Order: sequence, then C-alpha cells, then structure tokens
Amino acid sequence: MKKGVLILVFGLVAAAAAYGCIYFACTASARSLQRTDKPELAWLKEEFNLSDASFKRVSDLHAAYLPPCRDMCREIDAHNVKLQALLSGATNMTPEITGALAESARLRSGCQTMMLRHFFQVSQAMPPEQGRRYLSWVKEKVFLPDYGMPNEK
Amino acid sequence: MKTNEAGNHDEALRKVLKEWRTEVPLPPRFQEAVWRRIKLAEPVPAPTAPSVWTFIAHWIGTVLPRPALATAYVAFLLAVGVTAGWAQARQENARVKGELGERYVRVLDPYQTPRR
Repeated sequence: MKKGVLILVFGLVAAAAAYGCIYFACTASARSLQRTDKPELAWLKEEFNLSDASFKRVSDLHAAYLPPCRDMCREIDAHNVKLQALLSGATNMTPEITGALAESARLRSGCQTMMLRHFFQVSQAMPPEQGRRYLSWVKEKVFLPDYGMPNEK
Repeated sequence: MKTNEAGNHDEALRKVLKEWRTEVPLPPRFQEAVWRRIKLAEPVPAPTAPSVWTFIAHWIGTVLPRPALATAYVAFLLAVGVTAGWAQARQENARVKGELGERYVRVLDPYQTPRR
C-alpha cells in the first residue's frame, strides 16, 4: 500500500512540475515583452519579425508620430467639451451645432489621414511581406466599417 | 433489595443444580452437535459490495506498484501536465499579444486613446 501511495503521489507531483515548467518556459517570451520599456513596440518587433534595422526605423517613426498625435488628442478633447456644452442645453438644431459637427468630422478626417500616413510609412519600413500584413492588420483595427462600434461577424 | 432477592434465587438454583444427578448418558458427539447448532444460529453477515474506496485502496496497494503500470501511470500524468501547461501557455501568450496589439493601436489612434 505504501509503495502504491508513493507512486501515486510521485505521479501527481511530476504532472504538476511538468505543467509548471512548460507553462513558464512557453510564456517566457510574453513576459519578457511585458517587461520592456515600450511593450507595444517590442510586440510589433516580434509579431512582424523585424530586424534590428527595421525596428530602429519603425521606432523612429513611432517617436516622431507621437507629438502631433498628442496635439490631435488635445484638440479633439477641447472640441468634444465644446460640442457637449452646445448639446447639453439644445432642443433644436442650431447653426453652432451644425458647425461643431462639421468641425468634429474635419478633426476625425484629419486624424485618420495622419494615422494612415503613419501606417503607410511604418509598413514601408518593414520587409514587403510583413509590411502588407501590418497594413492589413492595422487597417482592420482602426478603419473598421462600423468605426467605434463592436465588431459583429 | 431486588439484588439480594436475585442473589438468593441464584444460590438456590446453584444448590439444586449441584444436587441434580442424571443417569442418562449424553448422545454421541454431543458437544460437537451443540457447537454446530450454535454456529448455525449465529447470524451470517450479509455479503456487501466493496465500496469505491476499498476498490481504490486495493488498486493502489496491489495493482499500481507493478512496474509496467507504475511507469505508464507516471508517463500518462507527465503527458497530461505537459499538455495542460502548453495549452495554458498558448492561451496566455495569445492574451498578452492581443493586449499588446490593442495597446499599440490605442497609442496611435486618438479616438481609441483612453482619456484622463
């Protein structure tokens, strides 16, 4: 009986150890991605198999894109505050609301143009096949037909 | 009082039994017959089905220690552990990579950037 129990326990311990070893070994790369300075860029490098030179170009483009992107965020936020103020007391369409909505559309269009330009530049900094895959992926993420709505497939 | 009475009765009975004599010889194999009858009169425990635990204990004690079976058992559990670890890691990697992809998009898209 004692020998049988020992074998039983040994089997269970071995299974638990195998589970732990395989889990930690296989998730090591994901953990190292998360620990990096810019995990999203580290992910991009791994996901699209970028060489160090390609990654450097992509990182430079990324860094150059962020300041105008932040400016755009501030502009959108300020405009949203203005639009909400106009809508809060409104019971009818007014020329101000029409103008504010037109401005929203203009901002969105400008933002999308800026993003798309950046995506093209990034895709061109990648090897051609990876660039195509990147563009296809990012366009699906950002330019969905039902923009801002849950994706139902 | 009752105890004393019972004691008196026992004493009387013992006395009578001491004085009692019988000339009739005991039948052959009398003792053996008595014991047989006692044995027959004893209630025989009804056979019960072995419980699951009894079965498992028996299996662990006698069947599992066989080398071939023990090896197969450990190998099976190892395979289960490896498969479960691999499947769980795959799921976790997919989750982390999905999150990082979403994060990349949120960093670039002002309309998906979380606002303070």
